[in-house]
Amino acid sequence: MDAMTRRSFLSLSIRLTAVMGLGAKAIPAMAESLAQMARGGAPALWLQGQSCSGCSISLLNSDPIGPDQLLTQYLSLAFHQTLSGATGEMAVQVVDRTIAQGGYFLIVEGAVPAAMPRACFFGEEAFADQLARAARKATAVLCVGSCATSGGIPAAQNNPTGAIGVPAFLAQQGIGTPRISIPGCPAHPDWVVGTIAHVLKFGLPPLDELGQPQAFFKRTIHEQCPRFPDYERENFASTFGAEGCLFKLGCAGPITKADCTLRQWNGGTNDCIRAGAPCIGCARDGFAAQADFPFHTKTGPAQSEARS
Amino acid sequence: MKEMISVSPVTRIEGHLGVKVETDGGRVTSAQVVGEMFRGFEQILRGRDPLDAQQITQRICGVCPVEHGIASISAQDAAYGVTPPDNGRVVRNLIQAANFITSHLTHFYLLSGLDFVDLTQVTTYTGRDPALVRLRDWAKSQLASATANPVGPFLPQFTAQLIRDPALNIGVIKHYLDAIEIRQVGHKLGAVFAGKMPHAATLVPGGVTDQVTAIKIAQFRALLGRLRTFVVESYLPDVVAVAAAFPDYFGIGRGCGNFLSYGVFPEASGMGARFLPAGVILADGPGLQPLNVEGITEDVRYSWFSSATGRKPAQGETTPDPNKTGAYSWLKAPRYDGQVVEVGALARLLVAYHDGSRPAVRTAVDDLLKAIGREPKDLISMLGRHAARALEARLLVDRCAEWIEQLVPDQPAFTDFTIPESGAGIGLTEAARGALGHWIEIRGRKISNYQCVVPTTWNCSPRDDRGRPGAMETALIGTPVADPKQPIEVARVIRSFDPCLACAVH
Repeated sequence: MDAMTRRSFLSLSIRLTAVMGLGAKAIPAMAESLAQMARGGAPALWLQGQSCSGCSISLLNSDPIGPDQLLTQYLSLAFHQTLSGATGEMAVQVVDRTIAQGGYFLIVEGAVPAAMPRACFFGEEAFADQLARAARKATAVLCVGSCATSGGIPAAQNNPTGAIGVPAFLAQQGIGTPRISIPGCPAHPDWVVGTIAHVLKFGLPPLDELGQPQAFFKRTIHEQCPRFPDYERENFASTFGAEGCLFKLGCAGPITKADCTLRQWNGGTNDCIRAGAPCIGCARDGFAAQADFPFHTKTGPAQSEARS
Repeated sequence: MKEMISVSPVTRIEGHLGVKVETDGGRVTSAQVVGEMFRGFEQILRGRDPLDAQQITQRICGVCPVEHGIASISAQDAAYGVTPPDNGRVVRNLIQAANFITSHLTHFYLLSGLDFVDLTQVTTYTGRDPALVRLRDWAKSQLASATANPVGPFLPQFTAQLIRDPALNIGVIKHYLDAIEIRQVGHKLGAVFAGKMPHAATLVPGGVTDQVTAIKIAQFRALLGRLRTFVVESYLPDVVAVAAAFPDYFGIGRGCGNFLSYGVFPEASGMGARFLPAGVILADGPGLQPLNVEGITEDVRYSWFSSATGRKPAQGETTPDPNKTGAYSWLKAPRYDGQVVEVGALARLLVAYHDGSRPAVRTAVDDLLKAIGREPKDLISMLGRHAARALEARLLVDRCAEWIEQLVPDQPAFTDFTIPESGAGIGLTEAARGALGHWIEIRGRKISNYQCVVPTTWNCSPRDDRGRPGAMETALIGTPVADPKQPIEVARVIRSFDPCLACAVH
């Protein structure tokens, strides 16, 4: 292991142990876990259902462990639809070989069209059948992103495909493989990498009632918000682009548990609330589900004046 | 001898795509392009608050979310009668351009790279580049191990007809690794003003929610410099070198020869002045024609939809029927004045080339053609599509450097608006993959209809009501297939369109 790699193990393990509430004593073990991943200790199979590939794209933004290292060294990723060299029949064979061998982490992105199997196919097989087949032989199922954890937008009100999340689908099928849910639209790369590292070294991380790692999803965005002082002073933004707490524009921070405002996105470049955008609750169970619960409450200057 | 070849699933694209081709005497005689995944965004949007649209529609696609956001807020700008201030317009351009550049280089290296490079050659690498050494050692240990799929997800790959020159091969592999890192820089560049990537947070009708500050401008300049270096020193030269290694592909995958662009990157408010202009070129037409939005219709005879066929998008409907007889794809079949058209970077470049008011584009295209010893007509090909993307990335890194200086710190980037009781708007822009349109209709301050006609809907469409194949189906005809078990030529033509199936069906 070169010095560069060791430094990034330590750097990430310090961050992960801190955020997962494990204390300083766990840092070497976490670093060892990352090193184990680097030796290809985590055979994985990545399947996509009704997804937009946004969680895959987001994982490529993993930082400080670069995605080149993540892909070539950390995960022994047998197949990924967007990255795999194999195409056509060769791709089907890779997936089938992996399932036959068993003992992998199954990572799933996207929802399952439970009422319309034709709405998602992989080669000649319905995605729902492929998922059931793969989940039975997996060590654990990692549901990445809100579509996989609870159906997300494909499962929103008025959807025509009867889309559901992966845990609901596995329960319907009576498949008891252990599962972890990492919500978010998209999921933050640290949430995915941190959870896999924890599973490898310490087993399942402490999960909440939704099967989500408590380390990332224990506190509301509101409690951790850089604009919280504005909320306390009742300094509310009246429209987009204004200073102040975004609560009156419909911010879902108070009902969404995630650490985005602390962690930030794209290697600490920015986050929604810092950029003036009210939280839309993309990591919330039931994200986007109701047509009558809009992301924003802004109706324009005329109405705002009328209301006040 | 006739043969049926199935390439399903097509990997290293976005989403779920299957392609079936029939060959005769080793050449493709017909093709069926099948969109395999449907979610029903247009139905989900009905009855919702109009301001949900820019966030919901971005989730159509994690590769081109920004462009859906721009199309949606442009449609809403029109419906609400609001014009963003210059800061808002320029910030939108910067976020969108950052996503174009990131998307193009991701497509060439991560998605298409393994159609050209022989990855196994890295095991014999003798140089000292740390990234290549790491890759070599990992690949060797994987190949020596008992794992079922060594060097996954990169291997196995089709082994036929890859780059023969070892120096070029290893050079492109090195830039593949660099591209994985540099595409992060492209996303950071977008996130400076977008809040996060993918799925930009700040796009709203009237402008953007973010504020323009000196710090953000400086951050953007620094990230842009890194991106520009890669585009100029690695991406564009690699495309030229790969083109030289596969000269036949200037004659393969030529397609219908009809091109359409909605234009993108407004240089002033309104549809008028866009950095890359709108226009239509028909193969048997009189050259560049102005775009007529009324000419757009969508057929569904061969699509798994029972709703009315041949509708204009503003009156479009999306009712799924997965058991429909004769249908074979989840994509609709958009047509322009009844014609099959191709969209994408190549279409934008050709439209700009023939539009007299874009001398910078004309010079850039002529310089590239001179460097590779080709004529403009050669661009209409599998390699021409790659070249057009690389050239566009080059034009955009330069234009971004000028746009960022147009921002005025601490001035507004948002104009307030009121959502009307009822209204309608059209948002026409370009995604990295081509012409993107959103049509919104509002009644009782709720969305009463929403239709998206998306780049890959144009390019990967099934046959239309008159039975004419879509743009990719047409481009595949004539493609040679040396080995039916490794139809790499077919895969190369498919990927040259940079298909995005989550977008195409939505």
